[in-house]
Amino acid sequence: MQTTKQSVRNRRSWTTRLDAKNKRLENVSHITNGNIIPTNRIVEALEKLIRPGDRVVMEGNNQKQASFLSEALVQTNPSELHDLHMIMSSISRPEHLDLFERGIANKVDFAYAGPQSLRIAQMLEDGILKMGEIHTYIELYGRLFIDLIPSVALVAADKADRYGNLYTGANTEETPTLVEAAAFRDGIVIVQVNELTDELPRVDIPSSWIDFVVVADEPFQLEPLFTRDPRHITDIQILQAMMVLRGIYEKHEVKSLNHGIGFNTAAIELLLPTYGESLGLKGKICKHWALNPHPTLIPAIESGWVDSVHCFGGEVGMEKYIASRRDVFFTGRDGSLRSNRTLSQMAGQYAVDLFIGSTLQMDQYGNSSTVTRGRLAGYGGASNMGHNPGGRRHSTPAWLNMMTSDDPLARGKKLVVQVVETFQAGNKPVFVESLDAIDVKRDVGLATAPVMIYGDDVTHIVTEEGIAYLYKADSMEKRREAVSAIAGVTPLGLTTDSKKTEKLRREGIIALPEDLEIRRTDAKRSLLAAKSVEELVEWSDGLYEPPAKFRSW
Amino acid sequence: MIKLKLAFLFPGQGSQYPGLLHELPDNPIVENVITEANEVLNESVYTLHTEEALTSTRSVQLSLLTSGVATYKAFENSGVTPDFVAGHSIGAFAAAVAAGVIDFKDAVKVVNLRGELMEKAYPEGYGMGVVLGMEAHKLQAIIDRHYDEQFPVYMSNQNANDQITLSGALVRLQSVLDDAGQNGARCASLLNVSTPSHCPLLSSVSDELIEALHDIPIYRPSIPYAGNRRARLLVDPVDIRLDLAESVSAAVQWHDASTVLYEKGVRLFIEMPPGNVLSRLATNAFPEARALSVADHGFEDCHFIASINN
Repeated sequence: MQTTKQSVRNRRSWTTRLDAKNKRLENVSHITNGNIIPTNRIVEALEKLIRPGDRVVMEGNNQKQASFLSEALVQTNPSELHDLHMIMSSISRPEHLDLFERGIANKVDFAYAGPQSLRIAQMLEDGILKMGEIHTYIELYGRLFIDLIPSVALVAADKADRYGNLYTGANTEETPTLVEAAAFRDGIVIVQVNELTDELPRVDIPSSWIDFVVVADEPFQLEPLFTRDPRHITDIQILQAMMVLRGIYEKHEVKSLNHGIGFNTAAIELLLPTYGESLGLKGKICKHWALNPHPTLIPAIESGWVDSVHCFGGEVGMEKYIASRRDVFFTGRDGSLRSNRTLSQMAGQYAVDLFIGSTLQMDQYGNSSTVTRGRLAGYGGASNMGHNPGGRRHSTPAWLNMMTSDDPLARGKKLVVQVVETFQAGNKPVFVESLDAIDVKRDVGLATAPVMIYGDDVTHIVTEEGIAYLYKADSMEKRREAVSAIAGVTPLGLTTDSKKTEKLRREGIIALPEDLEIRRTDAKRSLLAAKSVEELVEWSDGLYEPPAKFRSW
Repeated sequence: MIKLKLAFLFPGQGSQYPGLLHELPDNPIVENVITEANEVLNESVYTLHTEEALTSTRSVQLSLLTSGVATYKAFENSGVTPDFVAGHSIGAFAAAVAAGVIDFKDAVKVVNLRGELMEKAYPEGYGMGVVLGMEAHKLQAIIDRHYDEQFPVYMSNQNANDQITLSGALVRLQSVLDDAGQNGARCASLLNVSTPSHCPLLSSVSDELIEALHDIPIYRPSIPYAGNRRARLLVDPVDIRLDLAESVSAAVQWHDASTVLYEKGVRLFIEMPPGNVLSRLATNAFPEARALSVADHGFEDCHFIASINN
């Protein structure tokens, strides 16, 4: 007995992962200068550091991309590297899918693929690519530590020093999470940086987590995704913003929140200092935000509405403004923004009162989707934040306001608001009998329909016709009636009648603008605190530096 | 600055107008292409672009092919080569020449045959229509409702998310268009096309084209070509040959084909003459991209913009 146990114990190595890693590191010792990979030898290095069949996490979200590394990976030889299992939170660049066309990769787990939604659907159909699962961001990050542990992490940072310490700047995003999953499980971490420098403004990721640094031949790709030019905000969006402020934020005392990106939410932000002020709401609503630094929030910040903003990532052009508004933004000792996509997604899920966003399609029960036939877009942040976390325990007035029973074990709910215009671009009704997501599930062979936000999570729907307070509906029939009542002249809206609508108004299940003391004719662009990007710059004392494409003066 | 990917687009039938070949760039390269076409046809291509001649499918297609290839070669000769090419319907042949898959002279022979076969297949009583503002699955339901074995109607090209063409017998085609107009389409009307292109009614034409294309040499493309039928980027010459032969009897998935180009990183589309149909479709579909047509912007300006972005 003792002999057998002793033999088994002696034969097993407990450092197989580290041994394998060290062997790979030896393979590139003739290429690297310590922990620096020469820029022009990155392809060669990748061919030796990565092995066929590896799980490789490639950094990319809708804003920041490790573009130099993805372009290098696609240039590797498919006879050297093949059948990689890619983990990408965002499939955004052409070469992300070129990897599969060339046979370098064969399987993918991801969250978002909007910019490549047709190609990925085609490649699935053609058998070029095998699908793992589609996730919310937070799920994908979570699985990196459970059953999708990467062998290699390819990430981006702004600067490194010669030891490999990293400064990630305003766009820290998901970098620390991706690095940690590989670094502490004997994986290999390779970082592209814009610049090697003697001294870093601050250290965001310590060198002991990093194996290699390579200076990119171009700065990594950054997109100004959270910039909305107020010139494009319509009167309808302003009307909806007024309804949201009166019928939801004021009514339920919403103090903490996340805004999905869109012109409808930009309108809300720009109405805080004007319409919100006239309602006497400052200090009562919209104090704490889980939000990227939306330029359209500048007037509200300058007017004293905002106590704090925690960011998933940065926004191009907002750097100087953020550094000079330390009281509002999370900043490092160097003054620049500290963002963290993982933590802010957690905050946006569990810690805020409300999420508000928009959608392409919604059915009669409030299920929504941005999927279209023949496309596979995955999910952005809305699926994560647009749901009521069952594990929340702390109460706020807004959360408690969602309680509709006197059961002693009753609890509140996060407010999940969908704001839509009854007709989309191209005169297409937003309300449909059946979501395209159901057809996509069948056509693509998914395990579940790719629903962005489930109807049972939605507490409010806002259209230009009114607000449906779905959290008050006590049956599916009542829910359907409430949605129909604000669906305007869409086919769904035409199924309702004025008698039913009156009853719903009396019960407080729907509210029309007049019920909220809003005159439709007051919904004018003059209510916007800023009517152009130029005016946002003025509000910021010139500190906001918008990208060229938004400059019109 | 970051290099923008460039795609050349070659227009299909409907973009033609009388005298179109006279508006090509004044350039010896263009003259050579015209001369080559004249030699193969044993007649002047200038007899094909008159108002009278353009009532014939054959004349239209040969004019479009010549115009597309001539302009492409003018760009190529002055140092501009696209990253991708795509042609709509007959425009696919010019795209294939640009990609180096078939020689221009061979293309003229095949297109000459294609036009003749199309005219003979259904000389009258058939045509095409267009529906705007209706999704494909809704339109298919309407077509199914009007199904008539003797007078078939098919959904053909998907030019934009909400712009679809129909092909088939005029008798039922009008019924389908009327029904679509009454059930939510923003516009539903007949097109000035006298053959039922891009539907199974022309499968005999495809069969003959396959034989004709087998008789000419084909080469691996030097530029990826976006196929009409399945909207994939094709690099295998056999796949491209099949696409050229079968697209006449299959729907052109133009919206998807141009979306694939966009997803591949194309941010500058340049449409070869004549017309601006494809560049306008690209402008509407991809606000972040630039889409120019040689017809509207002129060869010199298009050349300049392509040069500074590549």
